[in-house]
Amino acid sequence: MNTPALLEGLRFVDTFFPSGGYAFSSGLEAAVQGGAVKTSDQFARYIEDLLRGGMSRREALAAKLANRAATTGSLNAAVQVDRELDSTKLGRESRLASRQMGRQVIRVAVDQIRAKPVLGEYRDEVDAERAPGHLAVTFGLTMGACGWNPEETAAAFLYQTAVGFISAAMRLSPIGQHEGQRILGEWLPLIERISREVDAETAMSSWSPIQDIYAMRHGALEWRLFRS
Amino acid sequence: MPTRGVQRKRTSRRASSSTKRKPSRRKSVPERFATELVGRVGELKLDYAKREHRTIIAHSYFTTPWKLLPPIYLDDTGAAYTLLVNPSGGLVGGDHLSIDMNVEQDAHVLISSPSANRIYRTEGKASEQHVNIMVGPGAVLEWVPEHTIPFAGSRFRQTLHTTLAPGATLLLWDAVASGRIARGERWAFTDLENEIRVTTASGGSLLERYVLDSTTDLGAVGLAEEWNYVASLYVVNDATASEVWSGLESKIAAILDTRPREVLGGVSAAPIPGLAVKVLARTAPDLNAMLDALWAAARERLWNLPPVSLRKY
Repeated sequence: MNTPALLEGLRFVDTFFPSGGYAFSSGLEAAVQGGAVKTSDQFARYIEDLLRGGMSRREALAAKLANRAATTGSLNAAVQVDRELDSTKLGRESRLASRQMGRQVIRVAVDQIRAKPVLGEYRDEVDAERAPGHLAVTFGLTMGACGWNPEETAAAFLYQTAVGFISAAMRLSPIGQHEGQRILGEWLPLIERISREVDAETAMSSWSPIQDIYAMRHGALEWRLFRS
Repeated sequence: MPTRGVQRKRTSRRASSSTKRKPSRRKSVPERFATELVGRVGELKLDYAKREHRTIIAHSYFTTPWKLLPPIYLDDTGAAYTLLVNPSGGLVGGDHLSIDMNVEQDAHVLISSPSANRIYRTEGKASEQHVNIMVGPGAVLEWVPEHTIPFAGSRFRQTLHTTLAPGATLLLWDAVASGRIARGERWAFTDLENEIRVTTASGGSLLERYVLDSTTDLGAVGLAEEWNYVASLYVVNDATASEVWSGLESKIAAILDTRPREVLGGVSAAPIPGLAVKVLARTAPDLNAMLDALWAAARERLWNLPPVSLRKY
């Protein structure tokens, strides 16, 4: 990757980017309240399990496919991935959170990266409700437009997701910044391996029943810091 | 979905037709294939139709190991209750069972199985079960089979595809055990793939697909290892008012909390009109009690019908 491509893409990975991700915990809040995540070790295992089983062959795979669609200019391929991803998002809050953040990414990307018509065309598909606009897909398209390859894009997606979980954990439990950095460092080899090993030619799949259940349970919490 | 079993069967058919033309040269080939396939490639085809006040089986076809019993009428609603009977008790490696079912307009069908679906150890091919169901306008299908038990060393592939016409209702339960728990065998299968897809008349779909395999940690069971049963319940209908769904969602959420240490469950609005429920349970009685309660709540809220007793035990 060349430096201009690196810098172009970094903006969309940075927590400074206004995706609205700070408002969502993807069920972590329900897991903390439900007693499944009490310590930093439990938190690290819970998210590692989610990245590995729940998101590798689903979001990481979708980000890779969308990245390739941006490179080839194939709008239909991206729409198909987006719809398939939507079908697998069985919980309402997780589904809506992913769509809201995804729409934010594609809107900013269209404004900022004008040389890639596929982004504008995709934004139109999302606005016309022909594509759900999930984050993994719009992020993949955007990073592809920035010149990042599928593996780099999947890694960036998982890294951004991991940072989001640490940020949420710091607000939900007594995890400090140093502890957060330590946990993030422990996840990096896994993130690298998922990004490399996930085969974009296989069917999308996902196995994280515990995390899925807590994400479903979030809507029924009596008090909430997060929207998911 | 092309499978080895289907391919083998097609080979057999081609060989059969050519046998008739050239009996002297090809005779031994189809016989060998046919013998291998007996009891291994089982097809069950069922067409249900509403006739006056009852649902009947209008057409049926099955090959070994499937057996078909006449429908049972458990109450006065006219709903036809069919048990999926596989007397062999389970699937060995290389088995390829299929079910094609058509539930015609306004018919009401209830499907279960007499016992758990056992998947035996294999050192070769996987065991496969593929189910395709069409549910017609205004028709109802309640699909509540017993759970699947994947033995240590087993390999299982299941696809369960359902297409719903406008106004059709699907209640689908699918549960998998970690293994033969009583003998301490848990999560010891070689691999397990499960795919459930429900497609509505608008083209929207719900998809649950998981692939567990012991060759890569991306396919590991992970934190779910502490549980013994994982199950899903989907209730779908594109003509039901949103307040009915929200009422049922609240009821189900309350039911899921009735066994806090034995069951962990969640319910949410699915990506198609209806509800998705995920359940983890410690024991079979916990799981079955949860199914009974969830199913009764859905029947009561959607159709104002009492629970049915399946008379299996």
